This record gives sequence, structure tokens and C-alpha cells, in this order.
Amino acid sequence: MTLTLNGEDRLFYGDPMTPLVDVLRDTALLTGAKAVCREGFCGACTVHIDGVPTPSCLKPVGLVVGCDITSIEGLGIEDDGMTPLQQAFEDHDVVQCGMCFPGMVMTLTPFLRDNPEPTREAIKHALVGNICRCTGYERIIDAVLSMQSTGEISA
Amino acid sequence: MKPPAKRQLHIASSLDDALVMRKSLGPSAEYFAGGTWIMRADLRQEFDDRHYIAVGGLEDLAGVAVHQDEIVIGAAVTHGALAGAIEGLPDLAALSSAAQKSANPAIRQMATVGGNLCTRAFAAADLVPALLCLSADVEIALGTELTRMPLAQFLAGRDGFSGLLVRVIVPRQRRLSAHARLPLKKAGDYPVAIVSVSVMLDTAGLIRNAIVAVGAVEDTARRWPGLEAQLVGRRLDADEIAAIAADHADEFSGREGVEAPGWYRVKVLPELVRRAFADLPADKCGG
Repeated sequence: MTLTLNGEDRLFYGDPMTPLVDVLRDTALLTGAKAVCREGFCGACTVHIDGVPTPSCLKPVGLVVGCDITSIEGLGIEDDGMTPLQQAFEDHDVVQCGMCFPGMVMTLTPFLRDNPEPTREAIKHALVGNICRCTGYERIIDAVLSMQSTGEISA
Repeated sequence: MKPPAKRQLHIASSLDDALVMRKSLGPSAEYFAGGTWIMRADLRQEFDDRHYIAVGGLEDLAGVAVHQDEIVIGAAVTHGALAGAIEGLPDLAALSSAAQKSANPAIRQMATVGGNLCTRAFAAADLVPALLCLSADVEIALGTELTRMPLAQFLAGRDGFSGLLVRVIVPRQRRLSAHARLPLKKAGDYPVAIVSVSVMLDTAGLIRNAIVAVGAVEDTARRWPGLEAQLVGRRLDADEIAAIAADHADEFSGREGVEAPGWYRVKVLPELVRRAFADLPADKCGG
């Protein structure tokens, strides 16, 4: 199978029913997506498939051939390394254990593209599928809201 | 310890191809649409060898067509796509709410209408009671023929159908509808109980007929006939209707589960009935 992963073609020799998260981590050695609940409820394995945030634990790799797959490793800006959202998380010292963060970023990135001026409540709704075991939700939301005042959401 | 299950993925190129595959692969074959249930088989300790026939990309199962008298929903339409297609249509408010509030945003972009209706082991499917209260029909491909039947009939016999659910047809009537669910946390969770209602009012604003469907409480969603019969001729008074629901709650026998005991699922039904009727947009009522 040939996968288009972060803009590059990658070969995978294996079972088409293998969850995409395992291919990312074990074969492509991209360990940003975390296999945590394997039920689609924690959001830690979220990647973009054709731009749509998707729990990669629930996607058989055989069904993403021909799709454009973006993992957290493919999200950064070439020279700078981080997107404005990632930068806001760092600036607000939001990251704790780091387990949920790739998924949070992958969920929020298209959400902010489509909702450039979200309310606090809307951000909470967007994140109901992303669980932070450190329970740092409020600072995460604060960081997102801070982007509005700096005009970074549309960046 | 059992060895790892052998699960083979087959990608159907057409509706006919899917049906032929299912027949040739035998009883260990099943259709795979969004995959949100099937991909968790290991967590349910289901290690039997299976053949999965991927049908999520089939054109015959795609799209939502909104007509004046009905809407036609392809079985492979996701919850997210359905919610977007019917948003703001007052007669379909229950279905819209069910599609918008189930699970979490990412799952809603994967989980399909057909998967919700066909997965017998998933008792807490939001779309099932919503479609029941709107008197939906389903169309199933059996060989070269399409067979149409009421959703309730399909649910009663779904273990026996080897065909493929192709689409769901929802009649558009002058009805008001609403959907109330009780997850253990505010969102992103499976509901303990679900109540979907639709009512038709007469010119005086009284209930001409009502359909109340209950999901997640028993193994399969179903209507609440005892309550429905008591509502004819009444005003849309949510508190009064909830009190009647309490008198008829013993029509249900709650299923036991790790997230809630059976008695609790039944106990919360009157409150969900109250919330659903309170959510009906009374200002848009009319016979």
C-alpha cells in the first residue's frame, strides 16, 4: 500500500485492517499520535484525513490509500516549526504531560480555520472528544482565546 | 489466550459487488461503513475471524436529498454530514439534534447512519429513536431488488437480513420534533437513555397524535405506545406529560450496563420526556 503521509509517499507492507495509528507509530515512526483509549473517545490519536480530524485508532490503513494524511509532525511551518496554535500553547505554558496535545492541536486547527472567533463554550464543544488526563482544560481554552486578541487565528 | 483474530478487508467497488462478496464470503462476512464499532472489537473481546466488506465509499449509499415531501439519506452518510444537510428544518429537529449531539465531533465525521441502524449490539445509537419518532422507512438491497420497510420492522428482524441497507427515507409532515438524551457527562459520551418525540397538533394547538421513541434503555430502541395513547387531545404541557410518563415508565425494562443499572435508565425517562416536550418549538405549532 502506498500512503500519502505528510505530503510524502510512504510504503506499508502489512494487514490492511491495521489501525492507522499503529502504522504511524510502529512503521513510519511518527509517534506524535498516541494510542490511548483505542475507542475514539480520548482524541490522542487524532490526525487529519483529507483535512478532517479523525481518530486514527478507528481507521484501517487499507481505507486511507489515496487519502491525504497529515499527522502532528506534518503540521508545522517549515522555517518556524510551529503553527500559531502550537505557539500559543507554548506561550501560555499549557503543556503538561504532553499526552493529549498532538490530538488537541489536530482537533483545534481545522476548528479555528472554520470558526475564527469562537466563544469559550464553542471551544469546549469542539474539544469534547479530546481528554486531558492532567485536566488542564481551562488554560488550553485561555490559550486559544488569546489568539483572537493577537489576530493569530486567521494566520 | 486466543490467537489474534484474522480480519480481512475487502473493498467493494459497487453495490452489486458488495452483495456478491457477502454471499461468497459466507456467515463470517459483514459490511464495514464508518468502522467506529467494528474497529473496537478487541476491546469487546471479540476475536472471531471476520471478513469486512467496506461499503462506505459506494455512490449508492451516499448523499442526503431534501425534498418537499421526504428526505432520502444514504446509508453511508455520516452523522456530521446529515446534521449539516438538515440543519434548520423544524420538522426534522429531532433528527438534526441526534446527529449533532452523538458521541464527539470526530466520531460524527466517521460514524454512519447505516452503521447506527445495523449495529444491533449498540443500544445507545442516537439516530434510531430519532428516526423512529419521524416514521422513517429503510430500503435494503436484497439481490437485485430493493425492499422498503418501516424502520421498526427492520429493527425487529435485522439479525435475519443478509442484504445491505442502502438508504433511509423520512417523510416530511407538519410535525414538531425534539430529541433529549442523558449522557453521564455533559457531552462526548454514550447516553444512558434517549427520548425522541414528534407531535402533530390540531388547529386549537392540542396534540392530534404523538410518537414517542425510547433508545438506550432496552437493547433495541422502540416506541412508547402507552404514553402515546394518553397524549391525544392534550396541551403541550411538558410537566403534565412528564407526570403521565412516570405512570407508564414500567412499560420498559432497563438493560444493565457498566455505565448505569437498568432501573436508573427507566427512572430518568419522565425527565427526558419533559425536556423533549419542552424543546418543541411551540411558536411554530399549527394544524
